[in-house]
Amino acid sequence: MRLTLALAALVRHRARTLLAVIGVAVAAAMLLDMVMLATGMRESFRQLLLSRGFDIRLAPKGTLPFDTDATIPSVGAITTVLRSNPDIREISPVLGSSIHIQAAGRDVSGSVLGINPSVQGDYELLSGTDVTEPGVMVANDYLLGLVHARIGDTLSVATGYDPQTRSYSGQRKLKVTGRVRFIYGAAEQASAAVRRETLDSMESDARRDRASLFMIRVRPGADPDRVRDWIETYIPTVSAISIATAIAQVDQRLSYFRQLAVILGAVSLFVGFLLVTTLVTVSVNERTGEIAVMRAIGVSRDHIVQQIVAEGVAISVVGALLGLGLGLVTARYLNAILSAFPGLPTAIDFFLFQPQAAWSALGLLTLSGIGAGIYPAWRAASLPISETLRREAIA
Amino acid sequence: MLIAFIVALLLLPQTPQTSSRTIAIDESLAAAAKLKVGDRVTLLARPGGEDFAVMTATPSGYSPGVAPAETVTVGAIVKRGADPSEVARGDFLVRMHLDQLQQISGYGDRVDRFAVAAKPSANIGRLLSEINDVAFGFRAYRSRDIAVETSRTFQVVSRFHRAIGLITIVASSIFLLCIMVLKVEERKRDIAALRLMGISRWSIVKSIIIEAAVVAILGSGLGVALGWVVSLVVNWHYQALYHTPLEFSIVTPEVIGVSVALSLVLGALAGILASLRLVRTPPLVLLGR
Repeated sequence: MRLTLALAALVRHRARTLLAVIGVAVAAAMLLDMVMLATGMRESFRQLLLSRGFDIRLAPKGTLPFDTDATIPSVGAITTVLRSNPDIREISPVLGSSIHIQAAGRDVSGSVLGINPSVQGDYELLSGTDVTEPGVMVANDYLLGLVHARIGDTLSVATGYDPQTRSYSGQRKLKVTGRVRFIYGAAEQASAAVRRETLDSMESDARRDRASLFMIRVRPGADPDRVRDWIETYIPTVSAISIATAIAQVDQRLSYFRQLAVILGAVSLFVGFLLVTTLVTVSVNERTGEIAVMRAIGVSRDHIVQQIVAEGVAISVVGALLGLGLGLVTARYLNAILSAFPGLPTAIDFFLFQPQAAWSALGLLTLSGIGAGIYPAWRAASLPISETLRREAIA
Repeated sequence: MLIAFIVALLLLPQTPQTSSRTIAIDESLAAAAKLKVGDRVTLLARPGGEDFAVMTATPSGYSPGVAPAETVTVGAIVKRGADPSEVARGDFLVRMHLDQLQQISGYGDRVDRFAVAAKPSANIGRLLSEINDVAFGFRAYRSRDIAVETSRTFQVVSRFHRAIGLITIVASSIFLLCIMVLKVEERKRDIAALRLMGISRWSIVKSIIIEAAVVAILGSGLGVALGWVVSLVVNWHYQALYHTPLEFSIVTPEVIGVSVALSLVLGALAGILASLRLVRTPPLVLLGR
């Protein structure tokens, strides 16, 4: 009964109800987007880090993985130290470097990773075979496109290029055996991978037996944070970064977007609240006579309050449901804009849809709908019956 | 590459004095490392310093080499420049003499780049061509071209802000239209009376448009004042967060002009749409007869 009366009051003024619903839908879309932005970026990054099951990363002291050109010396010795900890299950040292490939009379530059294919966590093989032997390489489609190469071709790859003498150093013929997708790679990043010993042999003596990064998988049940602390105690030349630490560092760097999301989300919620409050208040002001009649024939104050709150909730819920669909569309558009960040891994989404985000947005809007109905409901419930009826009769 | 070395910088406890040269450090490094002018620090190019031993429970035979280090005096603490490309990185910066960095880094007589200031009357395009024609192993670029390339991150952020702005405009338009519809409907009896007195439809529409425009101008005036205050808060917060003098939000006369013009147009449109609905309805119907 209460709901029927509430809906009847809304249908009576179709145009304004429709406008209010559209307004709430836009506010809801914005709110959903901001909830997705605030939580999705972190979740997306966490999923990316966990995707290959490595719990800890070791970078040169004071740096983040591949943030600088710095490397960690004495890979062999460090590996021996790491193996002495029974909680460490797998160790994957990775050396990063730049490469130059001569193709069609021009120099194409890119990046290369030296890895151990049995424990690597940097790429997925799309076709062909992995770097199972020295003298072979795998590359992503972007690099293969730049050098017009395909699986089976042999490329002349160098790790150094002196532009003054236009001469290459660390040059070697490598056969392309596979197409890969680099998990942490950006869209327009020419990348390849070879065995670490292959890359070691192409580097200068000063860069031998070095790694840019170690990725470490801990034994199931072991505490990654305890292992991280152990590593930092025994190997002071590295920064050990657990997934929680990495997420905290990314959070710090991208705090701007999180704060923006909180502010815009709050503004959207407030605008939605204001719109519903205004509409329901005006609607109540127009119906004071009707409400007084209802009270005069014995309808309780609670009934009036519930009916008016139901009007606010109905506008909010219908607007929110429409807004969820609209929010997904706008989130996709906004995500496409932010995906163009230079160097951002393609797997990172700023706007990641999670059911929890949708429920949060819907819950917040329903609460704001209830809140929006409280003031006009209180005004309606406290109308003096006889005075209002007399005023209406005179009018 | 320079940043790589700076990031790699390690400040070690005092070692015997070997140099009297000075360096300048930025205020965030001074705060983080609790350094002040006159303190002496040892600089190493390699992170962690290869003269650290690996403390191992199972001796591995790892015998680290000794990296060249230099002990210097902190001669100055400087403010960071307003460089957008460094904002979110949180790196510490050290300024030192070129030969000093070349020595520590093992770079030899090499640099990452030359900055060249041309005379005001110089033809930059011709100068670039001349340098590039004779250059052997390097290439000259205009500063503004490099700025465009290095500010790609901010171009993305700017596009994102524009998209958010567009969504906000749509939301504001609907809000404004809704408010105008409510305001006009509230006065339908007045409008009916005016119509019965012989006031033309167009006069009523004009009066409502003027009213909507006044509301829009007053609202945008309040909005500009609020925006200016928010801009101050935003700059204060992010300058402190990122330790930079960079201005994150600037309220310019152009921004104010566009905002006021936009709200005026939207307000007038909302007034037209709201009033047309009522003036098309017969006055007696508006009076409920």
